[in-house]
Amino acid sequence: MAELKLIITGTPGAGKTTAIGAISETPPVVTDTSTTDDLAEVKDVTTVAMDFGELTLDDGQKVFIYGTPGQRRFEFMWKILVQGGLGLIILVDCSRPDPVEDLRIYLENFEDFIRDTGMVIGLTRRDGGQGPSLDEFYTALENWGTVFPILEVDVREREDVSLLINALVSTLEFA
Amino acid sequence: MTQLKINEKGERFCQDVFEQMMTQSEAVYGVLISTVDGHDVTRKFKRDMPAAKLAAMMSSVLALGETIAREAKQEMCRYVIVENSDGFILTLKLKEKLVLSVIASADANLGLLHSLSRNAAEKLAKNLR
Repeated sequence: MAELKLIITGTPGAGKTTAIGAISETPPVVTDTSTTDDLAEVKDVTTVAMDFGELTLDDGQKVFIYGTPGQRRFEFMWKILVQGGLGLIILVDCSRPDPVEDLRIYLENFEDFIRDTGMVIGLTRRDGGQGPSLDEFYTALENWGTVFPILEVDVREREDVSLLINALVSTLEFA
Repeated sequence: MTQLKINEKGERFCQDVFEQMMTQSEAVYGVLISTVDGHDVTRKFKRDMPAAKLAAMMSSVLALGETIAREAKQEMCRYVIVENSDGFILTLKLKEKLVLSVIASADANLGLLHSLSRNAAEKLAKNLR
């Protein structure tokens, strides 16, 4: 059975590294380095190349998960990491000022990849009902002429990340 | 966006060190200092190259080198060397949050390139805050 390669992306701090750490059966590969810009106010380290983790689905299917750096200056890594990928998870940090706009930007960033593969959206940092409602996200998708599954997740929880991955795999199976 | 900057005196010092490197080896045609998270800090290029993009790439390649070393149970990644048909790119850590990259043509002597990069990194580390 061939391995599935999935990609996780989203803004810096959305929880990509945490999600992979929560789900990976092997110690995740991380490329975190110190932050030296405004992001240092939010987090001490940031991913500059990729994260990598692996897991086995209930049916024995092996899944390799690659996390991208969030910042646009690492766009070259996005292009490298999506090669051979079968699906994308976009994590949207709902504590940021405009999460719907963040989603739009990442849909645009990965437009070509999304067109050829499957995608699910994970809303993170929803503590205290932060950010726009699910309806607002679905309406935005509708206005952009697309439909994708959207799930509210706590990426620190293995089960939540598993839910995202299973949703993505189902999307791929029925595509 | 707030980014790590060096003062005027530091900039002059860097340019002097870059100049010395290029004098020691004529094959060296680019020297770049960037941050570990991929921002361009200062540079001396004899050829036209995209500094901002290279700064981001150097941080990725060095982080990958360090990660690969760890996965292979090796310690302390000293350099990442990219050897190409028409040149070399050598990248090494400079203090905790900076990266020094040296770009040279294929007629460079790799041993000399190592040595002058290491010496420059030590000099720069001592003088940059």
